[in-house]
Amino acid sequence: MDTVSLAMVAMCCFAVLTAFAALFTKDTFYSALYMSATLVTIAGMFALNNVQPVFVLITFIFVGAIGAVTVALAAMYRDTRPKIQIDFVWFLPAIITFGAIFNAIFGLKNVPSAFSGSEVSAFVENYAVFALFFFTLAILLMLAVVKFVRREEV
Amino acid sequence: MMVYLSLVTSAAILLIGYVMAMSSKELVRLLISLELMFGAVFLALMPLFTIPDLTTSAFSIAVLTVFTSGGELMILIAAMVTFSKKFRSMSTDDIVAGGDSP
Repeated sequence: MDTVSLAMVAMCCFAVLTAFAALFTKDTFYSALYMSATLVTIAGMFALNNVQPVFVLITFIFVGAIGAVTVALAAMYRDTRPKIQIDFVWFLPAIITFGAIFNAIFGLKNVPSAFSGSEVSAFVENYAVFALFFFTLAILLMLAVVKFVRREEV
Repeated sequence: MMVYLSLVTSAAILLIGYVMAMSSKELVRLLISLELMFGAVFLALMPLFTIPDLTTSAFSIAVLTVFTSGGELMILIAAMVTFSKKFRSMSTDDIVAGGDSP
């Protein structure tokens, strides 16, 4: 097994472990921090496989903006009561769904994989309207959120 | 091997996020579980980047996913802050919808 594959295995294990930590920790603040660690590790996996644009997108937009706000919210509304109270009614559909997912994934065990880098310039050339649309969408969403919170303050 | 590993990890994180969402009695924890599930979705996109002809399309799908999930979470955070100001609570038990009685 080469170095990249070994690093990938280590990062996958770390991502699952931090996700478990986010689930089992009693403090919501630490839960948010572990969640951020999971997301940064997921972004790191993209960087490891030479897909840096997605690493930048996830790290800057998702972890940098949404994750930071979540950590701030968790710090503000800190709660340390034990929270693992699973409603068992949801267990059967969950088991069926995840059984189907793992069954589908198992069929891909021997699929060969070789990552090729993604070109941002090709994306901007081919999907200029798409990129412009998302830029506009982001601005409109932010305006809507600010208006929504301000209206409630009055 | 890489594709298989990333998909198994993605499914595992999705399962953890799902269990967290089922067991959460508080809005912040629910938000964290949603972010974990979105993280799993990002990881599930990784196999698309192994096909050279699809890398640009895969990147556009990644942009779509990151922006829409980010926007959705931003709205949810705004709703949570408003809910907290109005009801002085972050418990999921205090949320009512449709014809539910408060």
